Amino acid sequence: MKKRKTSLADKIFVVCNTLFMIAFVVVTLYPVLNTLAISFNDGIDAVRGGIHLWPRKFTFKNYLTILGKENMITAVYVTVARTILGTLLALVTNALLAFVVSRKRFLFKSGLSLFWVITMYVNGGLIPVFLLYRNLHLTGTFWVYIIPGTISAFNMLVLRTYMNGLPDSLEESAQLDGAGYWTVFVKIISPLCKPVYATVALFVAVGQWNSWFDAMLYNRLKSEYTTLQYELMKLLSSVMNQSGNAANASAAGAANAAITPVTVRSAASIATMLPIVMLYPFLQRYFVTGLTIGGVKE
Amino acid sequence: MKMKKLTALLLSVAMTATLLVGCGAKEEAAAPATDAPATEEAAPATDAASTEEAAPAEEAKTYSEDEILNLDMFITMPGSEINDDNEIAQMIAEKWGVKIKETWLTGQTAAEATGTLIASGEYPDLIDSDDMGILADSGALLPLDEYIDKYPEFKEKWFTEAEWEKFRWSDGHIYWINPFGNTKGEPTATTHNDEAFWIQVRVLEWAGYPQIQTMDDYFKVIEDYIAANPTMEDGTPNMAYTILCEDWRYFCLENAGQFLAGYPNDGSVIVNKETMTIEDYNTSEDTIKYFKKLNEEYKKGFVDPESFTQTYDEYIAKLSTGRVLGMVDQWWDFAYTVNDVFKQQGLDKIGCNYVPLGLTTEAGMENRWHTFDDTVNQASGVAITVDCEDPDRAFEFIVQSAMDQELHDLRFWGVKDVDYCVDENGLYYRTDEQRMNWADTAYQASHRCQYSYLLQWHGTSDDGINANKPEEQPSEFQYDMAQPLKDCFAAYGAGNYVDMMGSVVESNGPWFPMYSYSNNFTTDTPGGVAWTKMGEIKHEWLPQVVMADDFDATWAEYMEVYNAAKPEDFLAEMQAILDTFK
Amino acid sequence: MAQEQVKVVKDKRITWKEVKRQKFLLIVSFFMVVYGTIFYYWPLTGWIMAFQNYKPNRGLLGSKFVGLAKFQFLFEDATFIQVVRNTLAMGVINLATSTFMAILFAILLNEIKSTIAKKTVQTISYLPHFLSWIIVTGILHDALSSSGIINELLLKYGFIDQAINFFAHKEYFWPIVAFANCWKETGWNAIIYLAAITAIDPCLYEAASIDGAGRWAKIKYITLPSIRPTIMILLLMNVGNVLNAGFEIQYLLGNGLIKSVSDTIDIYVLTWGISNNDFSLGTAAGMFKSAVSIALIVIANYAAKRMGEERLF
Repeated sequence: MKKRKTSLADKIFVVCNTLFMIAFVVVTLYPVLNTLAISFNDGIDAVRGGIHLWPRKFTFKNYLTILGKENMITAVYVTVARTILGTLLALVTNALLAFVVSRKRFLFKSGLSLFWVITMYVNGGLIPVFLLYRNLHLTGTFWVYIIPGTISAFNMLVLRTYMNGLPDSLEESAQLDGAGYWTVFVKIISPLCKPVYATVALFVAVGQWNSWFDAMLYNRLKSEYTTLQYELMKLLSSVMNQSGNAANASAAGAANAAITPVTVRSAASIATMLPIVMLYPFLQRYFVTGLTIGGVKE
Repeated sequence: MKMKKLTALLLSVAMTATLLVGCGAKEEAAAPATDAPATEEAAPATDAASTEEAAPAEEAKTYSEDEILNLDMFITMPGSEINDDNEIAQMIAEKWGVKIKETWLTGQTAAEATGTLIASGEYPDLIDSDDMGILADSGALLPLDEYIDKYPEFKEKWFTEAEWEKFRWSDGHIYWINPFGNTKGEPTATTHNDEAFWIQVRVLEWAGYPQIQTMDDYFKVIEDYIAANPTMEDGTPNMAYTILCEDWRYFCLENAGQFLAGYPNDGSVIVNKETMTIEDYNTSEDTIKYFKKLNEEYKKGFVDPESFTQTYDEYIAKLSTGRVLGMVDQWWDFAYTVNDVFKQQGLDKIGCNYVPLGLTTEAGMENRWHTFDDTVNQASGVAITVDCEDPDRAFEFIVQSAMDQELHDLRFWGVKDVDYCVDENGLYYRTDEQRMNWADTAYQASHRCQYSYLLQWHGTSDDGINANKPEEQPSEFQYDMAQPLKDCFAAYGAGNYVDMMGSVVESNGPWFPMYSYSNNFTTDTPGGVAWTKMGEIKHEWLPQVVMADDFDATWAEYMEVYNAAKPEDFLAEMQAILDTFK
Repeated sequence: MAQEQVKVVKDKRITWKEVKRQKFLLIVSFFMVVYGTIFYYWPLTGWIMAFQNYKPNRGLLGSKFVGLAKFQFLFEDATFIQVVRNTLAMGVINLATSTFMAILFAILLNEIKSTIAKKTVQTISYLPHFLSWIIVTGILHDALSSSGIINELLLKYGFIDQAINFFAHKEYFWPIVAFANCWKETGWNAIIYLAAITAIDPCLYEAASIDGAGRWAKIKYITLPSIRPTIMILLLMNVGNVLNAGFEIQYLLGNGLIKSVSDTIDIYVLTWGISNNDFSLGTAAGMFKSAVSIALIVIANYAAKRMGEERLF
């Protein structure tokens, strides 16, 4: 490669670009780090404001408070369960569907695709869907988190595009050896689809982990099926609920007023985001490839 | 689980022991247990500690763990959940055989929460919602008529025949019973359990307890105070005036006009008693004047700029710091929480408590901010749903909540010798420590159980001596007050909050309060649609009116939008209801 | 046997034998259709409610038909017109700003020479995507509160002399929503563009350099035209979702004061359908939303076809 003399314009560009990236990183990270700092700060002190990247009056109390909430512990179980179960089920079903519609010689290939693509744009809407779940006796159960949203046209499309990109010859040669479609799916296609599987799994897992509206809507009175994000949402309000339990965790008698929503909420936010934030950098390799190949129509 | 229970038992035993000492010499005088109510009172405390032993022969039946009926109750108000192993809840369960798990409103509006229940078709055993009518129409509630007839004594005591009639829903059944606003024995009201312009006593004290009759007086004294004292002692800046207007609580902003004009709290409309006509206070001169004044204060920077975006919790948190000098609110909406915090933080000692002022548009007018009669709000109350498995026992417990004095005392006074003491004349009193505990949120969660949306009485208890609620016990009320508050009452020659208001003592018409009708309007009628839209429009425009650069122009704009919602449809339907009382 | 199969595979016609061989595919399809019918198509029968005065205790069969009365109410309701406007406006603004930001970020990131720096920035840029809207709105609420960082900075550098209450002013709401969207999704959305950029043949740049093209010229004449198909197809895919973009953030951040700009169709459905228990009106509003979505996607598809771009179907 020839080494060209960098022009002045290029230098300016590099400087500006670097500044832009620094600004981008600051804007992205600051709010999260700030939340982290506040979550370790004393409640009353935090009201004074002015906490940036480091707590002023360090304490673990806020975390003890959220750990002391019975609902929070339930919510952790429910959320972990729905994330794992929901992701596995969604992965298997969507992959199967995508496999079927990506078989070039399948009779109803386009028919089935269309059947699903339509669902992306036409839906009954909140009320009819609610009534359906009610009639199926899904409301008030854990399964309302798992069953209804399992197959989604979007995930199917991502998987299909990826599978379409695989060479036909693989399938043909396997069939020459007498393999049926099931074997092709399990032995040939799936191993090649690891990146796109990881991508879809991540989509679903993040969706499951972060959802609250279904908990609020369908399991309003079932505290045994509450989810983390819903608990977090409730923390946005209810000073009173907190102070009651906050004082439980803290030994001092009058300390209940020392915990304000901001610090406790920050602690809850951090605790809730932690697992997924720690996980995604390791999955990065997969979702980038998966999304890249699966997401763009060739 | 076992361990937890054991600890709780040990704790309560220990506490009883220490507090017995706390009750001191007075108690000794009354020691011979001839005092009948006293022994009964002590009973629950002892059988909590002796569940496994055989109950004493003369004891009433205690319920074992599997005999206890567990009920879920949903209340569309935010509230504090008590712990599952709450001590008094456990005592009540063992003695009366019913334990209620209360679920409060969080994260949603009341209407949304109720709507969600209806859409899902699954209900808690008991419910108290703002939308009882819709619940009844959806077939969610159990008709209570038969049950009520089974308890004639209760039926007679709780409401009059005419009052029960008001609760009849359009299909002829009674579905719910309002738990509030009933007095038995002698009325003992000391608090102004209504709306008012509230002001901190330190402001009045600083100003030398002036006469404050109008909004001009009110804001003048606050402005002067803040000019002289920009911050509290600890450096927190004082805040002149804040307004809560989240969801249905925007009454703190919207309806002061009716009171300033000298009318009582009919809520959604004004009733002109002379002509028996419905009038709209939203467009009245008094209301315009009120908003104009707020606008003026806003522009001067004395109205909290976060007023219109704060949530109820943020508002309560703000008041709890003691920095807010004044606001319009209902006593029950802020006082219980905020006063407890003041006591805990010692803010009551520096005059942060609020006293109510009965302001009117012009000085010297009569005011009707305070409601002296019992207010029967037939729009809401506690109901049993169709999903309740044992409605008989559930209803029995509801009746007991009103009729059983022992249960009532346990809910509102607590455990004898632990939460209160009894002197030689049978008068209940509390030590400082007991008072502090009662106000402590941790103690409330682990020990106190008020079932605050079950039936309850004001006035005096069956023993004729004590008030049904501690805050209405004159001696307690006096004792509980911090010095600045006492000084303030003394300076105005008032014995209590009600006297501070100086409202006209008179009875309201049988239609009162009109809001109890409009609250159950549904969008099936044009009036109901107009009512919903008016609410939305007011929610959006009233803050803008307060913040407007040009008040008159914005008001005119608001009126244009307001009139487009056809308020006349709503007023006509309200008039039709009023006409039935002619 | 094997011989025969090869023939079958090569054969263009689908024979009975082929169908039998596809048994597995057919069984899977059957279950997928059953599932889809129940969970996606069956609710459409609920649309009947939009033409009724539906009462939960009377059911679909027992409720009274009212024709188009509910739709008439909708179109005469100024609030509904407002929420449609808000939904469209925020949807379009979000789509435009987030697409622009993602492309800009992808291009600029691609210009960074240091691999470590590039990787680090990229990893950080994905972070907000994984946070829930609850957390993001919580953060936003704090950052924009009167004692929040934004007001603190503005005050410190003298742009304002009194804290701005951002959530009390209608004019700020749409930009706040657009910003929140960009903050959350820029890094994530950039993944595809970045991939498209990486796929560009380096020879093109080499050649341009030899011709003396600067950075700008290269971006303008090589990068942008190369990723144009990607941009178009993604825009196209998202146009149909414009109306779906408005629920969580508006629900969590809106308040009574700015309702007229913050409420969206979904919130309207929730208010009327759930809070006011008018299932019929809620359903009608939902139907309208679906209809507009379809219209949008068809129009976008048609436009793309006319311009000779990629199409969805």
